[in-house]
Amino acid sequence: MPYSFDYKLVVVPSRDRRRAAGSGQGRRLASGQRGSDLAAIAICLLALLGVGCDKLLTSPPALGDRFDQPLQGLDNGELGDFQDGQVQFRRAFTISEGLGPIFNNVSCASCHSGDGRGTTENILVRFSRGTDPVVGEGGPQIQDKAIPGAVAEHLPPGVDVSRRMPPPVFGVGLIEALTDSVILTHADPGDGDADGISGRPNMVTPPGYVPATEPGAGPGLRVGRFGRKAQVSSLFQQTVVAYHQDIGVTSSALSSENVNPLAPSGLPDPDRAPDPEVNDGQVNDVEQYMRMLAPPTPGEWTDQRRRGETLFASARCVVCHVPTMRTGAHDIEALSNRDVTLYSDLLLHDLGAGLADNRPDGDADGQEWRTAPLWGMRIAREFLNGQLLLLHDGRAHDVDQAIRLHGGEATAARDAFLAMPPADRAAVVDFVESR
Amino acid sequence: MRARMPIAAAGAAALLALLATDVGSAAPVRTGSTARAPAPVRTPPPVREEPSPWPLREGPYHGSLDRIAFGAYGELRFAEDRVRGVTDPEWFSVGRIGGFASARFNPRFEFLLEGAWDQGPDDFSLEQADLRYRLKPSMQLHAGVFLVPLGRTNLQHDGPSYEFAERSLPATQLIGVPNAQLGVGVRGVGGKFHGWPLSYEMAVVTGYDDGLIMDAVGGTRVPMGRNNYGDNNGVPALSIRVAAHPSATSEIGLAAQSGKYNKTVLGGVTIDRSRYIHVLVADATSGFAGFDLFTEAAVALIDVPPGLEALYAQQQYGGSIELTRALREPIFSGWTHSRLTGALRVDAVELDPSVLGDSRTRLSASLNVRHVPLGVIRFGWYYEIARDRFNNVTPKAGATLTTAAYF
Repeated sequence: MPYSFDYKLVVVPSRDRRRAAGSGQGRRLASGQRGSDLAAIAICLLALLGVGCDKLLTSPPALGDRFDQPLQGLDNGELGDFQDGQVQFRRAFTISEGLGPIFNNVSCASCHSGDGRGTTENILVRFSRGTDPVVGEGGPQIQDKAIPGAVAEHLPPGVDVSRRMPPPVFGVGLIEALTDSVILTHADPGDGDADGISGRPNMVTPPGYVPATEPGAGPGLRVGRFGRKAQVSSLFQQTVVAYHQDIGVTSSALSSENVNPLAPSGLPDPDRAPDPEVNDGQVNDVEQYMRMLAPPTPGEWTDQRRRGETLFASARCVVCHVPTMRTGAHDIEALSNRDVTLYSDLLLHDLGAGLADNRPDGDADGQEWRTAPLWGMRIAREFLNGQLLLLHDGRAHDVDQAIRLHGGEATAARDAFLAMPPADRAAVVDFVESR
Repeated sequence: MRARMPIAAAGAAALLALLATDVGSAAPVRTGSTARAPAPVRTPPPVREEPSPWPLREGPYHGSLDRIAFGAYGELRFAEDRVRGVTDPEWFSVGRIGGFASARFNPRFEFLLEGAWDQGPDDFSLEQADLRYRLKPSMQLHAGVFLVPLGRTNLQHDGPSYEFAERSLPATQLIGVPNAQLGVGVRGVGGKFHGWPLSYEMAVVTGYDDGLIMDAVGGTRVPMGRNNYGDNNGVPALSIRVAAHPSATSEIGLAAQSGKYNKTVLGGVTIDRSRYIHVLVADATSGFAGFDLFTEAAVALIDVPPGLEALYAQQQYGGSIELTRALREPIFSGWTHSRLTGALRVDAVELDPSVLGDSRTRLSASLNVRHVPLGVIRFGWYYEIARDRFNNVTPKAGATLTTAAYF
């Protein structure tokens, strides 16, 4: 609409009017200027052609160079599900759509950088008193943000605290597809071979809201495999709990809002979005998306990396960081019966007092942690502003530091690493960081 | 530049003469006429008491029925847009489409109505439903829904007059163009600053609402709280713009809007104190080394509720610089009023200075054919770097063919 007030016409130069006045509409440009301008255009066009269309219009990353790419071998329907799930995973909830009343972040993607690990800025704080999750005091997780009208949670005094980095979400479908028996093959709870390493599973009972048809669900105890202490056995549970605890979004599985139990009573409910705030289809989309995320491709093999791999094995790191396990049958063909090179046994190991959070989680005690898979390391820095935040709380900034912080069952392996000449240590680090 | 000087000088002289004679008597209200149609600055018409003859004589108002004038504009977009190398399947779209009308009741009263659908925010908005009263020739009172005076782009944003297919990032991400609110105001010309004539616009409006937090995706998004046709908190906002005019072809404007945005009572219970948003906009239009220069910068300061500061920015800022040059006119000898222009724009916004990312930076270029003064065909290209809150980069780029015209 023209800006029609009279002073505008007479006093204020519209851009059109100014151009008309400045460039002298109705007159021809001087032939020299016209020629030089057209020559400049021609030079620019030629330069653009030289640069190439992909440079001008962006080009896709190399296959395997990202955390958010689908598994190879998915059919068209599965790829469609993957795309739907990616939209839901990236969806940032607004307060009007159900964010909160208390929460940690606004979307799945806002904690998992590029679908990889998170940063110390969005670290999650879990707490309990011994095995008591102190739900009445806001446990088991602090939600430090609140929508207007709600009260954010604060850490109560005298509790056991565990700060946990958001883990990568790629490759979780492959982890899910590993059968309990395959994982248990590597367990040695009594340290029967007397090597000082006694991996044991975190056997968990899936909550009642997890459909029995879900992988990792069903009656009885199941092998936990997700989470820093392997305290969760199914992706479904992981998904709905993350919606509920991290974003404050209800689903049919967890349909009551997560509220601050210590907030003053009598406050009106500020979350006006009807529950459930995501439907079953959206939960399923996110679950399927994570299930079908492929781990990035490892780096090229070099002589140093091959030597590093050998040294990694000779230091007995591979007892816990088991290089490969094989999946069982799965509804998604691309996940079925394939070798998974994740460098983890998914079992609990005592890593010593230095890394202990002194907070039990299911069967896991305060010094035990699930062996972290060593994949996606090659490109992890790209998604964390050049940092490499390792271990459960991101305290290690490179692989060398992470190894040095290992203790407990890993003491012998750590010492073997430290006893290596610098070149050998560099080879081990290079090997691990290339995975 | 030399060619422009006499025109500029004539414009400035005319401006000063107008102001010396209380302006308006020499500047009849011509509601519905437009500054869109490229036309040379003219010596103002002679002093007279009555407004200009009816029906309207220029501008995009092609239709006129007695005292009602009406028109419309639309923009089509054909594009190859890519995000990180992946093509967006939406290769054809309607960028925006709008209609407008004005009615004059008598020489002093008029009513303007405009509505537009915009692809960017993907909503239809009422941009003007504004009753205007010419108190005196240099001053106008108005009330209703109107575009708040937050910068030149918000006041003038019709597609056919713009050199780029997309509006600038500060315009879309910080100001929320088109930003129309309900209120009453006054505008006019008067006074000088360093010898430069001044124009002003001041309004009391409904202001932003808590949508800038409640409906914001991924952090504070000021545009989500705009376009209010009803106040949500009982406290109006004040919107002011003052512009100086060094010459007939240049303008320097400063604008601000300040007001409460949140609800403080919910279900009869006070849940928060009053929280305010302040938006500051500076814009300048001028000639520079043979180019037409337009630049606009904006800052938004938001009082964010406790518990949300870590995710919702309390400060945002951005700016844009546009350079345009007429390359050939007429383009062909037979196209009397045609013009070929080249335009380059750099724009950027920082949506949360407290984190490394959450920002956007863009470079745009456009080659524009104006075969008729009220229409344009643009061949454009842009390349944008968007950073998420982790500072991960997502490159976006596109080649566009857009056409916009009044009709």
